[in-house]
Amino acid sequence: MNLLAKTTIFTLLLAMIAFCIGGIRMYQTFQYEVKRETDFSLLETFWPLETAMESGVPASELQNRMVFISEVNQVMPADTLYQFTDTLALHPHPKINRKDHLRLLTTSRNINGQWYRFKVMNVFIEQSDVRRITKNVLKDLFIVLGGMLIIFSILTSKLLLRPFKETMQKIKTFNLQSGKVPDFPKTTTTEFRNLNGFLGEMLEKNRRDYLTLKEFSENASHEMQTPLAVASGKLELLVESSDLNLDQLSLVQEAQQALSHLSKLGEALLLLTKIENQEFAPQTSFNFSEILRKDVANFEELANLKGLDFQKEIAPDIHLKLDPGLAKILVSNLLKNAIRHNLPDGWIKVILQKQRLSVINSGPPPAVSTDLLFERFQKSSQTSKSLGLGLAIVKKICQVNELPIIYHYEDGIHNIEIGLRKP
Amino acid sequence: MKLLIVEDEKALMDNMLSYLGRGDIVCEAAANFVEAETKLLSFAYDIVVLDIMLPDGNGLNLLRLLKDCQPEAGVLIISAKNALDDRVLGLELGADDYLTKPFHLPELNARLKAIFRRRKFQGHTSIQFKEIVVNTDTYEVKVHDVPITLTLKEHELLVFFIANKNRVLTKQTIAEHLWGDSVDLQDSFDFVYQHIKNLRKKITASGGEDYIKTIYGLGYKMSEA
Repeated sequence: MNLLAKTTIFTLLLAMIAFCIGGIRMYQTFQYEVKRETDFSLLETFWPLETAMESGVPASELQNRMVFISEVNQVMPADTLYQFTDTLALHPHPKINRKDHLRLLTTSRNINGQWYRFKVMNVFIEQSDVRRITKNVLKDLFIVLGGMLIIFSILTSKLLLRPFKETMQKIKTFNLQSGKVPDFPKTTTTEFRNLNGFLGEMLEKNRRDYLTLKEFSENASHEMQTPLAVASGKLELLVESSDLNLDQLSLVQEAQQALSHLSKLGEALLLLTKIENQEFAPQTSFNFSEILRKDVANFEELANLKGLDFQKEIAPDIHLKLDPGLAKILVSNLLKNAIRHNLPDGWIKVILQKQRLSVINSGPPPAVSTDLLFERFQKSSQTSKSLGLGLAIVKKICQVNELPIIYHYEDGIHNIEIGLRKP
Repeated sequence: MKLLIVEDEKALMDNMLSYLGRGDIVCEAAANFVEAETKLLSFAYDIVVLDIMLPDGNGLNLLRLLKDCQPEAGVLIISAKNALDDRVLGLELGADDYLTKPFHLPELNARLKAIFRRRKFQGHTSIQFKEIVVNTDTYEVKVHDVPITLTLKEHELLVFFIANKNRVLTKQTIAEHLWGDSVDLQDSFDFVYQHIKNLRKKITASGGEDYIKTIYGLGYKMSEA
């Protein structure tokens, strides 16, 4: 429910409470006024009767449907007492022959030494009528108010909140890579103007930070490669040019391996950053089966050299929407991993089906928790020459491209399964 | 073979000059865009080694210029970027090959020779080392004119050795040449050993001499002596 609908409902609820209290007050006031006015009009009917009686007009002439005068033979107490009561009696109009609520004034007077009892009646607006009228008026008012509120909220959302909605839309479509901070709509509302200004500054700062970081990580990795190339070349020249003894040669070789490791580490970390920054846009779909078949051939040889049994079941013409470069990296990292963490005389099985790619291999139980296996630098042994980034890269590729990945280990069998249908 | 190396990093340039200069290659150096441009417009080269990240201009522009004025020259790009886009763009513009820093000098040497063979003889060429003749186009190998059958990897290995004759090749260099990026497998060095063992066996079985010397703890060297 949006803000305006909530405000409207809240306002209507408040209005309903106000109308209820107002209605009760109105009813009470109305009722009181009606009684007062009716009582007063009864008195005004009574006073001329008293005057007429005092001047000698007989009581029988003054009587009618609404006025009853009777002689009383005993002495009445305090004569000024007016008694007002509600009563049921015939309607004053001769043609309406039904009983109705009437207001009755009862009083006694001593006129020319004789006591008389006066009963004067008059029609009177009933309680139920008053209640009904109050209810109807308030109901109509409430409907009008509600309608106006709804119209108001629609107009507000259309006119007043439009800049806000446009801003929201712009933020939603904003993408750090696209590199352009959106132009927010001009607005005369101070709050929205402040919001837009603040958002613009924030996004611009984020974009600059992102670019700086991206540039830094790329430069750091690239600039590192040239000195590495220099160092590695110098070592090669050293080997060529002089008669080094066995110990010295093995020192040179170890140094070269360390250089190569460093270079690959830099590249792998840069690759992770690039995938994370979504610099590889998924392009049009390509034939994954073909890429897999080609790549597998290379690793099949390595696996065989290590004495591993290599099986593959690759379904033809399976298309995948992924950067082809990333697909290759994905495959080679999975296979490298399967070859490295295997047993002597072990086996590897690669299965590509429409829904999934599975790499199943024999191997020792994982040394780290299976949840941590996809984390960076979670190596089974610190001495191994592996980078410890292979599976982290696999996971990142899957994450960014929304491919589900499952790792399963049971009874010496490792199974990594990647779903190819996006969820 | 006449070579122009365009590289702004002096130490790396020195490496290439002293490694390649020892063979039958005449090397010239250009340390920046302007110098390279001048040389390209004045002299003819067989191959240009091009660093595409130069301080005073994009190496890809040099590549365009080269394709205009010396279309018959081969180009090998070296770059610190392994980004797929750079690679594709360079090859689209007519570069023959691409090497990512850091590279092994024997690898550079072998690639240059391969480009030279392709360019000068349209690939219809055989390379010879003593009694061993290798046709790099048809993958035929003959020892004393007797054909021998090699696997693809053994063939690549032999060509690599001949291109770098009389030079030391470390196991790492050989492994990376044969298997590329997939080689950080710790036991790939044993694979190198197995391939070399097989290659030696096949050559000596046909009466060839074993020219591949083992340098203990380091690698191998193919030499005439």
